[in-house]
Amino acid sequence: MNKKTILVILAFTMGAVFLGACSGQVPINNWAGLAADANRAYLSSGSFVYAIDLGTGEEVWRYPQEADGKLLFFATPYLTSDGQLLIGSQGTEHAFVSINPETGRDNWANPFSGAQGLWVAAPLEFNGRIYAPNTDGFIYVLDLNGKPAGDPIEIGGALWSSPATDGTRMYVASLDHHLHIVDPETGISQQEIDLGGAVPSSPVVAEDGVYVGSFASRIDYVTFSGSRELVEEAPNWVWGTPVLDDDTLYYADLDGNIFSLDIPTGRQNWGAVKPDGPVVARLLVDGDKIFVATESGTFYALDRESKIVWEKELGGSIYTSPVSAGDLILVAPYKSEFALAAYDAQGRQAWTFTPEK
Amino acid sequence: MWETFIIEPMTNLLLWIYDLLGHGAHTFGLAIILFTILVRLITWPLNASQVKGAQAMQQLQNDKEWQDIQKKYAKDREKLAQEQMRLYKERGINPFASCLPTLIQFPIIIGLYQSIIRAMASTPLDMLKLARTVYTSLNVEGIIPLNSHFLWMDLGRPESINLLGFAFPTLAVIVALTTYVQSKLTMPTSTNPNDQSAAMSGMMSIYMPLMLGWLALNFASGISVYFITSNLLGIVQYAATGRANWSSLLPGGKKQAPGKK
Repeated sequence: MNKKTILVILAFTMGAVFLGACSGQVPINNWAGLAADANRAYLSSGSFVYAIDLGTGEEVWRYPQEADGKLLFFATPYLTSDGQLLIGSQGTEHAFVSINPETGRDNWANPFSGAQGLWVAAPLEFNGRIYAPNTDGFIYVLDLNGKPAGDPIEIGGALWSSPATDGTRMYVASLDHHLHIVDPETGISQQEIDLGGAVPSSPVVAEDGVYVGSFASRIDYVTFSGSRELVEEAPNWVWGTPVLDDDTLYYADLDGNIFSLDIPTGRQNWGAVKPDGPVVARLLVDGDKIFVATESGTFYALDRESKIVWEKELGGSIYTSPVSAGDLILVAPYKSEFALAAYDAQGRQAWTFTPEK
Repeated sequence: MWETFIIEPMTNLLLWIYDLLGHGAHTFGLAIILFTILVRLITWPLNASQVKGAQAMQQLQNDKEWQDIQKKYAKDREKLAQEQMRLYKERGINPFASCLPTLIQFPIIIGLYQSIIRAMASTPLDMLKLARTVYTSLNVEGIIPLNSHFLWMDLGRPESINLLGFAFPTLAVIVALTTYVQSKLTMPTSTNPNDQSAAMSGMMSIYMPLMLGWLALNFASGISVYFITSNLLGIVQYAATGRANWSSLLPGGKKQAPGKK
């Protein structure tokens, strides 16, 4: 066998190995989803959803009990009013499951499997129905037993965020660059407002409209009637859902700027506040503090005047929105030594959680 | 390094072409086709040199002097290698000229696959990576997320058509067929029964379609669009030289001496 032949065979073998390493399917990978009730945190991270005791940081249960190649969890879990934990899978079968938060067992005999795309966002419970947004561009309408309760609502564009409601209408932000105002009863679209860029986060309901941030690097205010008004432009994409706290709107951008907008005057309360990295996670306003999680892996507590009260370097990156649970603030870093950490308001670490293999 | 010199330029080029085409339905598939044509144009001289190199090697295999040397030094491999190198030198043959373009294909295929997945951005984490990849000169906000539909396919996923309840992998079959046709056309038949490289080429003409077909079966269909376009262009390029051995496509087809039209 001459050198040329050996070289060709080697090259093809290497190529096959390289491409094989990429895996056959589109690689599905994302940061964890996080929710909490009074006793437990629920973390969706890879093959499992974990329930973690808030007092001890210990694992209470994991779902499923054994890893299933068809199930992959990164979506944000959602707790319904009747005590179900809902979450969709990014695995091959796109299952949408209901888990008993007490036991970690399935509530529904069969998970809902009618969607064609991945589940990224948490659903919305409204008027006894579940409105579950999917990346296939549909909102699936289910009853609390997991059965279809109406035709899927076609939105168009992948849906990465939960719908919001003012009690009458439903506001759906889509990657198709539009905010959709939908009648939740009939599923009929009432308005489609072009926002100039993809919208990865949920709208925030205000007095007579919603605030919404987008990849068009701006915050818009869209009234119930569908008129759009520019609130502020940002230097980079606005990813996380803005937070409305009385008359102040808090939001951040991918350059890592933190903004505090006084709505009545339209003025920024702060000058340039820019911690150590891009901000993807929603800000958390809790008590007198604003919690900021950065891609650089640092978790900050700011006071209302933007002064840093404390900061923690968690390692990895933080993309998951922090959650407040009782006296604790929960934060889930991506690719860190641990999957979840709990701090009290003074910045003392209560515990960290690392899943056992 | 790989990211900076392969993934970023490829992803931005794909997005630029996509934007140029109006970023509507089916345009990402067209962008991949145009991208492939561009790659083929850039590597045209290399491909031409590959064809030339293969022809020269094949002619050597059928050369009387070389066949005599093979017989003479059949039991002395070292001397045979020395004589082979002498002949290469005398006739200006570069034995690696025919495999260089093949080697160059690999970074392109792997880079393209990763660029397609990057550009598709099917999860928030992928979108974040895409945001870091695009050059500031590209107005990416207006065009993302990409429309991944092309004809009946989702370019971010493996393709199949449902035929009577069976998922038939159309693209994988077309990839295998076009690869087979291309390799058979470009493979002149040797008259030397001791020609190892001809035997190897024959094996490769079976192995390559199967391997690329397998890749097309399992990977994002965007990569299949690349394979098919590239193969068709390769066939056209070779046919343009007038040396295509069309009869070799059929079982028991007429043999053609190397270099003859």
